[in-house]
Amino acid sequence: MMGAGVLLARRNLGRDRVRLAASVGGIALALSLTLALDAIYAGVANQLTTYIERSGADVWVAQAGVRNLHMVASALPASVVDAVRAIDGVATITPILEATDTIAAGEERAVAYVIGLPAGAAAGGPWDIAEGSAQVGPGEIIVDRGFARTAGVALGGTVEVLGGQARIVGLSSGTASLVNTVAFVSFGDFRAMRGGAAVISFALVTVAPGASADGVAAAIERRVPGVTAQSRADFMAQERRIVTDMSADVIAIMSIVGFVVALAVVALTVYVATLARRRDYGVLKALGARNRVLYRVVLAQAAISVAAGLAVGLGFTASLSILVGWTDLDLQLAITASSVEKVAVFAAVIAGLAAILPIRQIGGVDPAIVFRRGAPA
Amino acid sequence: MTELTLDVRDISKRFGDGETGVLAVRDVSLAIEPGEIVLIMGPSGSGKTTLLSMMGALLRPTSGSIHLDGMPISMMSEDRLPDIRLRQIGFIFQDFNLLSALTTLENVSVVAELAGVKGRAARGRAQALLSDLGLGERLDFLPEKLSGGEKQRVAIARALVNDPPLILADEPTANLDSKIGHEIMRLLRAVAKQEGRSVVIVSHDERIRDIADRVLWLEDGALRDIVTMATDPVCGMAIERERAVSAARDGETWYFCSRGCRAEYLGGPTAEAVIEGPAGDRQAADRER
Ligand SMILES: Nc1ncnc2c1ncn2[C@@H]1O[C@H](COP(=O)(O)OP(=O)(O)OP(=O)(O)O)[C@@H](O)[C@H]1O
Ligand SMILES: [Mg+2]
Repeated sequence: MMGAGVLLARRNLGRDRVRLAASVGGIALALSLTLALDAIYAGVANQLTTYIERSGADVWVAQAGVRNLHMVASALPASVVDAVRAIDGVATITPILEATDTIAAGEERAVAYVIGLPAGAAAGGPWDIAEGSAQVGPGEIIVDRGFARTAGVALGGTVEVLGGQARIVGLSSGTASLVNTVAFVSFGDFRAMRGGAAVISFALVTVAPGASADGVAAAIERRVPGVTAQSRADFMAQERRIVTDMSADVIAIMSIVGFVVALAVVALTVYVATLARRRDYGVLKALGARNRVLYRVVLAQAAISVAAGLAVGLGFTASLSILVGWTDLDLQLAITASSVEKVAVFAAVIAGLAAILPIRQIGGVDPAIVFRRGAPA
Repeated sequence: MTELTLDVRDISKRFGDGETGVLAVRDVSLAIEPGEIVLIMGPSGSGKTTLLSMMGALLRPTSGSIHLDGMPISMMSEDRLPDIRLRQIGFIFQDFNLLSALTTLENVSVVAELAGVKGRAARGRAQALLSDLGLGERLDFLPEKLSGGEKQRVAIARALVNDPPLILADEPTANLDSKIGHEIMRLLRAVAKQEGRSVVIVSHDERIRDIADRVLWLEDGALRDIVTMATDPVCGMAIERERAVSAARDGETWYFCSRGCRAEYLGGPTAEAVIEGPAGDRQAADRER
């Protein structure tokens, strides 16, 4: 019986290629809307957390209460460094200064995490140098390669940063995102520009082999007063939350729009297809098909359309993300498992809802119409 | 005593109530034996389709009872009727009613699958039936690619696939030319006689009389004694053959509304013989109704 239902659904769809293509296309586009938007925000979150991820630090020590990097300022007395270093499991510790500032070169301005980096830093420096040096000395700066290109500056060029000027000694890659870029200056310059106080922003800790980041973070918080210490994973998660919170409304609205559009497309095409085959359903009933077999036909039709639409939508979004990767845009589309899961659940709900009206249609078909010829089918 | 395939007792069907109500079938009783072919004829609107729908468990009689192979189908719950239709009855329609999205083979196998036969076995059974009916080369055709006669043969295969004891056909030859119509009638006869199925046919088609074991006349919803209509060759009036006066001429029998018309007709030259009274033979001049 399962076989009969699915066979009928497949044939009904297959004999109406144009309608199928239109509905699958419509569903695909509508679901892509949600998928792509999710992917863009996930991409932004990825980019935003790239510095944290690639900094090389296992534990981030910040001013008490500071749990992420974006749009907050952290200030710790420099003495914290020695206090942390004394804790078991801490292998290296690198103090950095960090501020969100605008860097400028030529006509180009960009919002940047400006990092003050000590010489020979064990963590917190650029992880992928495209050109020049990975070390910054006094009066020097490392900027993102993309920023330099758009600004029309090269190694040896000048960049305005933190109210002064610095000479480009290195070009890093992977350090720019849609929202910001990362620039590295020397720790001494940063401190001088800030009036020379013995203050640091964060202490980046690597842990000794065998020690756990969470354990070390907990130990630091216990032993050093006035700090918040988080493992890299926790710190990243906190950072991601900013994007999630920021984007939640937009994503919700677009998801609803996509959901409604997809539902409308499927409901309409399945309804029209059912109406067009009303007589066939009457014939099947007369021949002895039970209603539930016919309901299954409609459900299978909706499910097949929606599944195909979802597959095409995923393919489309995936291609889009690859295409975007090939461009110079500092944009990344990251299709996450949770987003696919969410959209798949949407799709299943859509298929179910879309089948309701046609099922009611079929339920009302009188099998006795088979003997009434010429009657409106 | 042979078990009856179909035992219809005093059934009536009323559509609507009161003034506007229509009594489409009134007090019809009829019994059909295995292997018997019954033809039901009658004027348009006389209730033939309504009667057939009740025998096919598609419509419940307002009163009376219908037993199919001993089962009281007129009293069964709605829930059990699909299964009766699926396994006990084969339907054949004037406009074939094949499923347009399915191939010839699928149109037949899907009905077997509905009855719980698994895909492969269902296709095998369908293929065997279709090949027997000369459609072995048409298995993968869509209905739109088939001729009318082929479509009706597919419909016959579909009606037979679950091996039902009763076949119901409403105007099975009306959409076919006479040669193809004849072939379909021959098939229906074979279905009844070789396989012992009962066949009930509703039709206006006089030619079906040739294959029927019994012809019933339905008029105003009730079964009447058989009447055969003819046209008076003189005044053109439609008349009941059984009650008309007749005359034989040039090897044919003619029927007249009155002695006057017959006299006028016979006034012409080559009259050979004169037979008076009702006659039962069927001639080219016969008209239904
Ligand atoms: N569902 C219905 N509701 C109301 N009246 C109906 C219904 N079905 C049939 N009738 C009426 O019952 C009567 C018998 O109709 P039926 O279709 O059985 O006649 P028929 O002998 O098959 O006619 P035809 O030769 O034209 O097919 C007609 O008066 C018709 O209008
Ligand atoms: Mg009729």
